[in-house]
Amino acid sequence: MSTQTSSTIQFPYKRTLGPVISRFFSELTAQRIVGIRSGERVIVPPMEYDPETGNALEPDFVEVGPAGTVVSWTWVAEPGKHHPLDRPFAYALIKLDGADTNLLHALDAGSEDAVSTGMRVAPRWRDEPVGRIDDIVAFVPGETPEGPAAGEAQDVQTMDYFSTITYTDVLSPTLERYAASMRAGVITGQRCPQCNRVFLGRGYCSVDAITLGEEHEETLPDYGVVSNYTIVTPTPYPGQKETEPFARASVVLHGDEMVIAQQQIIGIPVSEIRVGMRVKAQWFADDARNAAEITSKGWGTVAGFIEGWLPTGEPDEPAEQYMNRVF
Amino acid sequence: MGHEPVAVVGIGQTKHKKRRDDLSIAGLVREAAQRALDDAQMTWSDIDAVVIGKAPDIFEGVMKPELYLADALGGAGKPVFRVHTAGSVGGSTAIVASHLVSSRVHKRVLAVAWEKQSEGNAQFGLGGGKSGSIGAGGAFAPWIRAYIRKSGAPEHIGWQVAVKDRQNALRNPYAHLHLKDISIEKVRESPMMWDPLHFLESCPSSDGAGAIVLTDKAGGLAAAADGRPPAWVLGTSMRSEPSSFNGRDPIRPQAGVDCAWDVYKQAGITDPRNQIDVAELYVPFSWYEPMWLEGHDIAPVGEGWKMVDRGETAFGGSFPVNPSGGVLSSNPIGASGMLRFLEAALQVRGAAGEHQVDGARVALAQAYGAAAQYFAMWAVGSELPSS
Ligand SMILES: [Zn+2]
Repeated sequence: MSTQTSSTIQFPYKRTLGPVISRFFSELTAQRIVGIRSGERVIVPPMEYDPETGNALEPDFVEVGPAGTVVSWTWVAEPGKHHPLDRPFAYALIKLDGADTNLLHALDAGSEDAVSTGMRVAPRWRDEPVGRIDDIVAFVPGETPEGPAAGEAQDVQTMDYFSTITYTDVLSPTLERYAASMRAGVITGQRCPQCNRVFLGRGYCSVDAITLGEEHEETLPDYGVVSNYTIVTPTPYPGQKETEPFARASVVLHGDEMVIAQQQIIGIPVSEIRVGMRVKAQWFADDARNAAEITSKGWGTVAGFIEGWLPTGEPDEPAEQYMNRVF
Repeated sequence: MGHEPVAVVGIGQTKHKKRRDDLSIAGLVREAAQRALDDAQMTWSDIDAVVIGKAPDIFEGVMKPELYLADALGGAGKPVFRVHTAGSVGGSTAIVASHLVSSRVHKRVLAVAWEKQSEGNAQFGLGGGKSGSIGAGGAFAPWIRAYIRKSGAPEHIGWQVAVKDRQNALRNPYAHLHLKDISIEKVRESPMMWDPLHFLESCPSSDGAGAIVLTDKAGGLAAAADGRPPAWVLGTSMRSEPSSFNGRDPIRPQAGVDCAWDVYKQAGITDPRNQIDVAELYVPFSWYEPMWLEGHDIAPVGEGWKMVDRGETAFGGSFPVNPSGGVLSSNPIGASGMLRFLEAALQVRGAAGEHQVDGARVALAQAYGAAAQYFAMWAVGSELPSS
């Protein structure tokens, strides 16, 4: 049985639109659609440059539509959560009246039978415009736009884009064994037969490019020495939970087998962390250990299994011996 | 038949700022590219191929932006390439473009590298979208501590580099930061961000783009005959190494040493300290100046900081480093390597304006990325290489 891990990252990006797209979106808020003149052609939505030559375009805006003709289309029978409408609809290429290019948009036609190339369509406007392409909720069959009366144009310079993406990783056999071992509270490494270096859950030697398997695995100590660290003053960003300075340290496992970087030292104030300090892994309770931080990129991590490293209180090792052991 | 000589005949960059809210992403890359074309006295139709570079897509949240930017850069119907080697990408982009010319695949190539950091957040991106990102500063700080301890460098070295690069930036109208009242005291008193790095020892977060136009020998000679001397590419190299393995030396990575010597060999350089007139090194945190001086064998190991201390890397010094103001003054991440590469070319063309180093005939440019594991370097000169 393969193990999957899943993670979601999300971020509220903010686009600056530039002079041409900002004009397009500003006009949309007043229920007007504009293109830009490029030679004999009118390009919709307007662009800053001619897409065929790269030449800059003068800001010669032209109002088009609002009605137009369907040039091509495809039916979406089962809309997903990312689709613009929650019922079956068509994605259509629409040549708006006065335009020389096609606009891609949703067409709310009720059924596939109601859609045909050459049909006439008009926009259904959003109740409260925000200056985005979905100020046109969808196009609808006919010549007549739908929606509220047009208001004053807003000045739209930016666009919020909330991105969210979920990754699913299928763990390699090496990572599955690694995760099982970590769940049991044991750090297992793989020793390269050629260079003698030890790696966590990687499946290969990074230096020699030799495949490492179960036969190369051995138990590693879960205690060692702090070889370096930094104290980070957190900067705010969406999703950042840290507000106070926090430390991340490199820990050389006993016997100098390997360094585990970017670890938390717990139980003492960050200002007391020292190079040479002896520490021991503080494992999460059995039922709290999880493999969510392990990904198929081929990296073993102790995150999700080891909460941090506790000073043992034994005398420090000489700092000079460890300072360079960042890795 | 050897490689085709490669000439840089056009150079352009944006005004770098915290937030270029007057431009779309397409507008940003076009501002730099149009300036490079104008400088080369070319139009979009003169270009055979386009190479686009930027750092991770998560920074702006536009996946595969090279697809959307192809026609913004006049790429319709032409080969368009995307390069991505983390922070070194601006340099790699220039190198990939130069290889398209040196291999005689194309005659005139446009290379553009960019970042619009203000659309997203680099700390978020570098932290894999999670809380508690240590950022680039947090990753490099332990190595910097190790360098300081190992070399015995006094702590004012970092402050001195931070001041020097900001003073250089005052000569460069395109630089993001123009800190007129920068001083050692200000750097020292600025907040400790990633111990031992202070806020003012760290690069800013910038929007910006850089672009170059490269041609073959005939194109370079024609520009020279027209009174527009090109920069000739003397050597290029890229090297990588894994980010972490037992015994790795992240302070003086082997990939950086090998990359430098590959370039030196191609350029006929045996004594980099004396044969190179000016260097643009990727220094996002002040201590990386002495670290790269040693990491590229410009100074003996343990003595890079002494070059800084003696003022040799200052604008009027015997080995000026980052006359542009460097990454410490402008950091549109994906473009930052390109800015190093194009500044080196500006210097040997004698076209660097207020930040021109007198008599610059051979210039070195370097960019590094990720866990100091990806390197891109080139040397450029004012003379057509003889071989
Ligand atoms: Zn090995």
